This record gives sequence, C-alpha cells and structure tokens, in this order.
Amino acid sequence: MTGPIIRIDRLDKSFGALKVLDGLSFDVMPGEKLALIGPSGSGKTTILRILMTLETISGGHVEVCGEQLFHMQRGGREVPADEAHLHHMRRHIGMVFQHFNLFPHKSVLDNITLAPILTKGEPRAKAEARAKELLEMVGLADKAEAMPSQLSGGQKQRVAIARALALKPRIMLFDEVTSALDPELVEEVLLVMKRLAAETDMTMLLVTHEMGFAHEFADRVLFFDKGRIVEQGPPETIFRHPTHERTQAFLRKIIAAGHRV
Amino acid sequence: MDWDWGFVAEIMPTLLQGLKLTLIVTLLSAAVAAVLGLGLAIARRSANRYVARPVAFVVEFIRGTPLLVQLYFIFYVLPDAGILLPPLVAGVIGMGLHYATYTAEVYRAGIENVPKGQWEAARATNLTMRQTWVHVVVPQAVPPMIPALANYLIAMFKETPLLSAITVLELMNQAKSVANSSYRYIEPMTLVGAFFLAMSLASVVILRWLERRYGRLGT
Repeated sequence: MTGPIIRIDRLDKSFGALKVLDGLSFDVMPGEKLALIGPSGSGKTTILRILMTLETISGGHVEVCGEQLFHMQRGGREVPADEAHLHHMRRHIGMVFQHFNLFPHKSVLDNITLAPILTKGEPRAKAEARAKELLEMVGLADKAEAMPSQLSGGQKQRVAIARALALKPRIMLFDEVTSALDPELVEEVLLVMKRLAAETDMTMLLVTHEMGFAHEFADRVLFFDKGRIVEQGPPETIFRHPTHERTQAFLRKIIAAGHRV
Repeated sequence: MDWDWGFVAEIMPTLLQGLKLTLIVTLLSAAVAAVLGLGLAIARRSANRYVARPVAFVVEFIRGTPLLVQLYFIFYVLPDAGILLPPLVAGVIGMGLHYATYTAEVYRAGIENVPKGQWEAARATNLTMRQTWVHVVVPQAVPPMIPALANYLIAMFKETPLLSAITVLELMNQAKSVANSSYRYIEPMTLVGAFFLAMSLASVVILRWLERRYGRLGT
C-alpha cells in the first residue's frame, strides 16, 4: 500500500455536550511513528480509543488499511459498521493500555496466547512458541508461567505489549503506557518500545507525557489542544522551535514540572 | 406426650426417602437457578432494549410474587392451558425460576465488579462478545460471588417444604403423611427439624470455607 494507512477525515467526537474532537483530520503513513502530545483533555487518548473501536464517533470518517472503520457499504449506500465489520477491522490494530489490563486469572503465557488461539485459530503449540519468542523479546522469558499479580508494573506492561504483538497488528497504539508506573520502572518499558520501533515496520501511535521519549521515538509529533491539532512536525521542530504559543506554553509547563525534553 | 423410639425407627426409612428427594430437588433447582440466573443477568445487560426491558419486567414480576403462588400456578393452573407437569418437574421449574431472579442479581453485581479495562482488553485483542464472556468476564466474576450463591442454595434447601403443596414427596410431605396416618406428630416433625438443622449447619461450615477460599478474590 502506498497511501496512508490511517486517514482521519473531519472527525467529531462528543461525550454528551462536551466536544472532545472537533473536525479533526490527519493521515498516518505506513511505518510512521507518531507521538500525540498535549494537555489532558485535549482529545489525544480519545483518538487512540476510537481507532481501537472502544469509542464510537459522532461525525466524520476514519479509514484504516484502505477500509472505512465505522462505515460500510450496503446496497450502494454507506451505513454504520456492524459488529462483524468492526471485528474484521480490529485485526489490523493492537493497543497497550495505561493500566495494562492483563487478564488476572490467566498466566502470562495464557494472556498472550488466548487471542491468537481464539481469534485466529492458531494451534496452541504454535501460539505458545510465538508467545515465548515475544516474552524473550520483552525480557521476560522466565515469567511465562507466572500470574500477573506476581509481576511488577513494568513487567506487566511488557507482557501487555507482548500480548498485543502476538496478534501481529499493522498498527500499534500506546496509551500513556508508562503513566501508571513507578519512575524506576519506566525505563524498562521504554527500552522495549524503542527496540520495537527500531526493529519493526509497524505503524505506531503513542500518547505520552514523556517528552524525552517522544523526541527520540517519533518521526512526527502532533500537538493537540481542545480537540484540534495546533501544531505538528518533526520532533526537533516541535520540541526545539515550536512556533505556536500554546505549544510553547505547554512545553514550558512540562519542563517546569521536571520532565526532560 | 412421650417420645417413642420404636416409632422413630419405623418411620425413618420413609423420612430418609423424603430427605433424599429434598436433596435432589434442591440440587436440580439450584442448577436451574444458577444457569438461568446467569442468562437473565446477561439478558438484562443487553444493549438491545427489546431484550433487556421484558427480561427486567419478568424478573421483577417473579420477585414480587410468592413462591407458593407460583408453584400453585405451575402445577394447578398450567394444566388448564394443556401443560401438565409431574410434581417434581413443576417444583424444580418453580423453585429454579424463582431463585434464578435472585441469583441474577448476584451475577449482575459480580459482572459489574469486573473492571471496564478487562472488557476493553478483550476488545483490543479482538475477542468476540461470546469469547469475552466465556474467557474473560465469567471466570473473573464468578469466584467472588460463590459465597452469595451458596447462601441462596441454603435458602432454597429450607424452602423445599413448600413443594409439599404441589404433592412432591419431599421430606416434609413424607413426615406429614406418616404423622397423619398414625396421629403422632412429635417424632416426624422433630426429625424433619433435626434433618434440616443438620444439613444447614453442615452447609454453613462449607459456606465459611467458600468465603475464605473465594470471598476476597474480587478485591
């Protein structure tokens, strides 16, 4: 595919009277690593949740891998997507959550193999072999039989990354994946993500408050405020020479709060 | 009024027969209540309100009327509509249905206890709704509710004498019939009480164990 892998076109999203996304449009090219930054409530997490179909949209269009995400054609007309269509589309996309959301009643290995076995019909042996490779990659090869409750936050998040990767999505969404971690556990998760970004051609969207990491990780940074993109560009430009005063104010505040840029 | 051990020995086989049926009815009704209650709880959560609303109405209706009336209805009124059920089947359906509306509430609370993030993780890994229920939600929701469900099991057990009203030959009915034919009530009724007490005490011990084993899993 030569065109964008994600096209967001005049997207609106409201929660009741609250407008979270306001006529938002942007494209993402295959393999691009995107960092979404901005103050809380600016709508950046909502974008990821919409792409994962955890939220519906209020207006506009979202296209993923050349197909409409929330619409489908029926008898020559565009109608809202049904659950079967969403299921079909979700296989392109994986997500890692702020609070990990591992399945607490399943072992680390079963957390990773559950979906490949159920949704792709993979034989257990094959799914387990792949899960072990992924655990190796995230540095947790010895934790396959552990239960999530026995892991640290950083380990849980690395398992969650492995779980999302097991489905081989073309697009990975990372929603503030280090925000719930103790500071000393942040680095181990970021290391895994850095390696992932370097070694794969997956498209990645990252919502984060770790500006230093966003700088290093992203090809392009989007600065959001009040449901719109205020400014976007290469990290060097956004972080070193932001042109918009709201971007400057936001970065000043972040630096004042002790974050490294 | 004097206690006659000879009479006790004489009626014991009949009462044990009744006790056996009481236990069978309790277990069958409990199975119905456990399965049907889960179905009701899931149906009430349905996004389709043409499913959720009628189910909610039926649940309130059943909870709002006495079990005895429902048993009479199933056993004595349904035959007028051509539905003739043996006493045992009518009893199991009546008790199971009645208690399903209570277990449904337990399930509802248990299901709501499963964090939203679990549903979202299931969605993000592209599980279907059915797979989400079977592999993610129910296995997490059920263990914390086992003590509450066991409580209803004990309550059902103690309600089984109601079934004597629809001619089920459970413990109470057997005791009544031996009492009526011999004009001696003290031994049969005392024994019925003793049987129920013994079973309930045993259940309480098991229940405490279940609470220790599963009660804290929800937190």
